[in-house]
Amino acid sequence: MDMTGRQGRRYGAKAPHSYSAHAAGLAAGGMGLCAWALPAGAAGEAAAPLTAPAMVQMATLNGADTGWLMVCTALVLLMTLPGVALFYAGMVRRKNVLNTLASVLLVACVVSVLWFAAGYSLAFTPGDGILGGFTRLGFAGLDPDWAGQRVSVSHMAPNVPEAAFAMFQLSFAVITAALLVGALVERMRFTALLVFIALWTLAVYVPVAHWVWEPGGWLARLGALDFAGGTVVHVNAGAAGLACAWYLGPRQDYGREAFEPYNLGWTMLGASLLLIGWFGFNAGSALAADSRAALALAVTHLAAAGGALGWLIAEWLLRRRASLLGLCSGLVAGLVAITPAAGYVGLGPALLIGLIAGAVCYWGATGLKRALGADDALDVFGVHGVGGIVGSLLTGVFASRSIAGVQGQIGTQMLTVLAVAVFSFVATGVLLWLTDRLVGLRVSHASEQTGLDFSLHRERLG
Amino acid sequence: MLDSERLAVAAHVHVLLRRKTGRVTDTEWMAGNADYAREIVRFCRLRAQQDALPELGEWADKLERAMQLAPAAAPGPAGFAAMPALNRTPPGGGVERYVGGIR
Repeated sequence: MDMTGRQGRRYGAKAPHSYSAHAAGLAAGGMGLCAWALPAGAAGEAAAPLTAPAMVQMATLNGADTGWLMVCTALVLLMTLPGVALFYAGMVRRKNVLNTLASVLLVACVVSVLWFAAGYSLAFTPGDGILGGFTRLGFAGLDPDWAGQRVSVSHMAPNVPEAAFAMFQLSFAVITAALLVGALVERMRFTALLVFIALWTLAVYVPVAHWVWEPGGWLARLGALDFAGGTVVHVNAGAAGLACAWYLGPRQDYGREAFEPYNLGWTMLGASLLLIGWFGFNAGSALAADSRAALALAVTHLAAAGGALGWLIAEWLLRRRASLLGLCSGLVAGLVAITPAAGYVGLGPALLIGLIAGAVCYWGATGLKRALGADDALDVFGVHGVGGIVGSLLTGVFASRSIAGVQGQIGTQMLTVLAVAVFSFVATGVLLWLTDRLVGLRVSHASEQTGLDFSLHRERLG
Repeated sequence: MLDSERLAVAAHVHVLLRRKTGRVTDTEWMAGNADYAREIVRFCRLRAQQDALPELGEWADKLERAMQLAPAAAPGPAGFAAMPALNRTPPGGGVERYVGGIR
C-alpha cells in the first residue's frame, strides 16, 4: 500500500506521470486517500482524487497523520528558531552576533505574515504551471465548519486539515529565507533586509515551490523528484545567497584580516538543532505517519552522519586537521543532500549520498568559494547550494521504482536544478537592485567597522 | 610562569585590544613568540597614551612580565602595521585561518 503512496504524499506523486499512476493504483486498490478524501456530499459517488483544496467531513481525517504533521511543523520551525540563528550567530564576529540573531527572527516574522497573506495561496493552490491561484489569500477557507462537521483539506494532503498543511509549508518558507542571512551578514541594512526578504519570498520562493511541488507546476509535470526541498529550499537559497554575496560585495578587510567566529559552540548547538529538526523536515514531508516517513527519518540520520564523515575525511586529507566547524558543516551538507531523496532511496544509497555531499561541499566552501570570489560569508552556496545540487542529481541516480514508486531520471533532475538555480540567481539580483534603489543595501563603512550590533540596534552582547 | 598563565594574560590583552581599538591579534602566537609579544606591548602602550586607556597600559606591563621580555631598545619605524603576521595566523601554522573564509 505504502509503495503506491497516498495522493497526498507530497513530492513524487506530485510528478504528473507518476501522479496519474498513483491515482490509478489507488483507485484499483480501493484504499488510501481516495477513500479518505471524498468531498462533502460526495459519499457514495465514485472516489476521485482531489485536484484542488476542498471541504471534507472531519471524520475522514487521519488523527495520526495530523498529529505527526503538527509535530513536524514545530520541528521545522525549531530549525530556524533557534537552529539557524545559533548556527549563524556562532560564526560571525562578536560585534555582529545580535544583528545576526535579529535578522533570522525578523525573517521568520516577515515570511510568516506574507505566507498567510498570499504565499500559501500562490504556491499551493491550482493555477497554471507558473503560479497558483488566489483562493487561499489570507488563509481564506481554512476555518472549520463545526456545525456541518466539515473541514478544508489540501489536494496534496487530503487526510490532514489544510491549516496543518499550510503551517507545515510556512515553516519551509521561513527556513529557506532564513538561510539567506548567512550570505549577507555583517554588512546589510536591517530595513533593506526586511524589504528584500519580503520581495524574495513572494517573487522567488513562492513560484519555485509551485513549479516543483504543486501537481500543476511545470517542473512537477516534467517528473521532477524533490521529496522535501533539495531544489525548492537548498538550491534556491544557495543560488540566491551567491547573488546576494556578489551584489553586496565583500565585507571590509575581507581576505586581509582574520574574521574570527564568535563562538563555534553556538554553531555546534545550532547544527544539532538542525539535525533534530530535519527529522520533521524530511519525515514530515511524507505528510503521513507511515512507513515512508520512517524510511525518510532513517535515511536522514544516516546521510547526516555520512556527510560529517565525508567532510572530515576531505579536510584531513587536504589540511591534516579535523575541525568542529567542519564536522558541523559536513553534517548539514549530508542533511541538505538527502533532502530531495529522503522518501525515494534506501539506507545504503543514503549513506553514500551523505559521504559524497560532505566531501563535495568541503570543496564548495573552500576551493570553489575562492574560485567564485564572492564573500559568501557563511557559505550558503558552498553548503546549501552545492549540497542541494549534489542531492538532487543523486536522487535521479538512486531513486528506484521499488521504493519511490517512480524511476529517477537524471536528465529531469538536471533540468530542475538548472531552472531553479538560474531563475533564483537572476531574480534575486533584480530584487537586490530594486531594494538598493528603494532603501539602500549596505551599511556605512563606519557602521561596519563598529559592528552592526551597536550601529544598527544600539545593543551589545555584554 | 606556567604556559596557561601566559596564555590567560595574552587572551585578556587580545580581548582588550579588540574591544578598545578594534585590532585583531593572535592569542596563542602572542603567548608563544617574544617578538610578537613585544610588539603587542609597544602597541598597547602607544594606544594607552593616545586614547587615554590606562587599562591597556596595565595589561601591557603584565604581558611583558609574563613573557619575561627585555625592554625594547627602540620602537620600529613602522611599528604595528609593519608586522605582517600581526593580524594573521602565525607562519608556523602554515594556514591563515579565518582569512578569506571561515572554513
